[in-house]
Amino acid sequence: MSERPITIHAADRGHARRHDLRRAKISRALKYVLLSAALLAAIGPVYWMVTISLKSEVDQFASPPRWFRFAPTLAHYYDAFFTRSFAKYLTTSLTVAGLSTICAVILGTLAAYGLARFKLRSKLDQRLSLWILSTRMFPPIVTAVPLFLMMRDLRLLNTIASLVIVYTALNLPFVVWMMRGFFRELPRELEEAAMVDGDSRLGALIRVILPLVTPGLAATAVFCLIVSWNEFLLALVLTQTDASMTLPVGIAGRVTQYEIKWGVMSAAGVVAMIPILAFAMSVQRYLVRGLSLGAVKG
Amino acid sequence: MIRNNKSSRRPRRETALPYLLIAPTVAVLLALSIYPLIYAIRISLHTGSGEAARWSFANFARLASDQFFREALAHTFIYAVVALSFEFLLGLGLAVMLDRPLRGRSLFRSALLIPMMLPPVVVGVVWRLMLNPDFGAINGTLKGAGVATDSLTWTASPLLALASVIAVDIWQWTPFMFLVLLAGLQAIPQEPYEAAIVDGSSAWQTFLHVTLPLLKPAILIALLLRTMDLLRVFDQIFILTEGGPGFSTETVSLYIYRTAFRFFDFGYAAAMSFVLLLLTNVISAGYIRLLQKQETA
Repeated sequence: MSERPITIHAADRGHARRHDLRRAKISRALKYVLLSAALLAAIGPVYWMVTISLKSEVDQFASPPRWFRFAPTLAHYYDAFFTRSFAKYLTTSLTVAGLSTICAVILGTLAAYGLARFKLRSKLDQRLSLWILSTRMFPPIVTAVPLFLMMRDLRLLNTIASLVIVYTALNLPFVVWMMRGFFRELPRELEEAAMVDGDSRLGALIRVILPLVTPGLAATAVFCLIVSWNEFLLALVLTQTDASMTLPVGIAGRVTQYEIKWGVMSAAGVVAMIPILAFAMSVQRYLVRGLSLGAVKG
Repeated sequence: MIRNNKSSRRPRRETALPYLLIAPTVAVLLALSIYPLIYAIRISLHTGSGEAARWSFANFARLASDQFFREALAHTFIYAVVALSFEFLLGLGLAVMLDRPLRGRSLFRSALLIPMMLPPVVVGVVWRLMLNPDFGAINGTLKGAGVATDSLTWTASPLLALASVIAVDIWQWTPFMFLVLLAGLQAIPQEPYEAAIVDGSSAWQTFLHVTLPLLKPAILIALLLRTMDLLRVFDQIFILTEGGPGFSTETVSLYIYRTAFRFFDFGYAAAMSFVLLLLTNVISAGYIRLLQKQETA
């Protein structure tokens, strides 16, 4: 992200009157007040969940609410991950997210290379790219109903495999579009030079091109992990047993019960949140590009 | 001799190669995006089940007289329009404030992104805790300030429930607008601003006549992506209210889910999902036309 030069400000300041200076000061103070309010609004609720996960029941229900002063306990974490099945859901989530990301990245990168580097007959490359993008535009509930029936017919309901397959398809269009963008930024001469030196096309892709797109590839993979980790609707529809459900489905199951264990739920929520925050911070540079499917290059 | 051989073989391999690279992706998407769609068309055009299943338009005919579906559509529209407006205005405001260098800018930027990255289910949990009438932080704080909170039951109140879930959406997704618009602002070159200053236009005029027109492509993309997500909203509402109390927060996605997986009426659920798909397509086509006009202009 490039900082815009502030030459205009500097020039203004040179012959600014005192009045202007005071106005600038007030507007900057106002800016900080508003930004701090936004900051508190963004973080406060998340912090509240973290405190609930660490509070004994007495502190949880205290009035007025205790934001800072309470006796922290890890009892809810122990309860969630040792006496209840949340450790199992966590492993399932990790397996599903990891495997589906690997599949989507491998298949999608190969397709992206094919679409970025070759001109196919009757503009097939452009048409295929657009068609691939359009499959991502379906609202998930539209495919959820038939996918449930298909998986039931294939006897894959309540299996990790069903989620890996579905999430691979979910992430593929994204991988294709992101990687197609990264490949297109590299000059064609790179592989051509390697191929003149006797490398095959695939050899050139692996030895010359892939190392150059590694940062983009890593960011793309992290985005796939985030999507698979966060996905809820399809997981809810396809997995309903303790042995197969992901962390979001496990948490949701507890939330909609009559008697809710708030501490356990918050502890699970905190654990579900931590990897995502780490991932998100690691792809900050590519965030805008990823979120807009490559449409805005931030 | 060997080199000769290789170069004569290459053209043939090169013509097959792109297809070989693309084929697996196309196969996966055909099997898991297109086939399900065809499957859904088939079940939506059938009534009865098993041996008794027959082709019919009954599911689509039923849509016209289903008052619940109309209500769910209305909720979805209200949800989308209100959330989109607030998210856009707040996001734009934040982006403008953080466009110029400012001490602590990267801290603000990173922190503001947190809500958007959270798993939607966790967002649901967070706001169940905040909005709980008995021990939630919001009512607790209001009570501390002397406000009577007995009637403020948020997601449990038929009057406030829809407003509450919309507010949660605004909390989660304003950062997305902010981020895309900030990227758009930062991509605007310096010259138009200098010209505006030479012309002596005020800050507000500059914003209206220089910044906004140049920001239009980023605005359209942000609105397009957000609109598509808003029309399909499911996760947070499912956790916060499950569409209740009564029917007051039921959106189209939730109603389809309930029809399919509570009442097991897959045919009718599929029929409704086509209406949702059509709606999404029409609206996104509108945005895309605006975007193309923008590019050719």
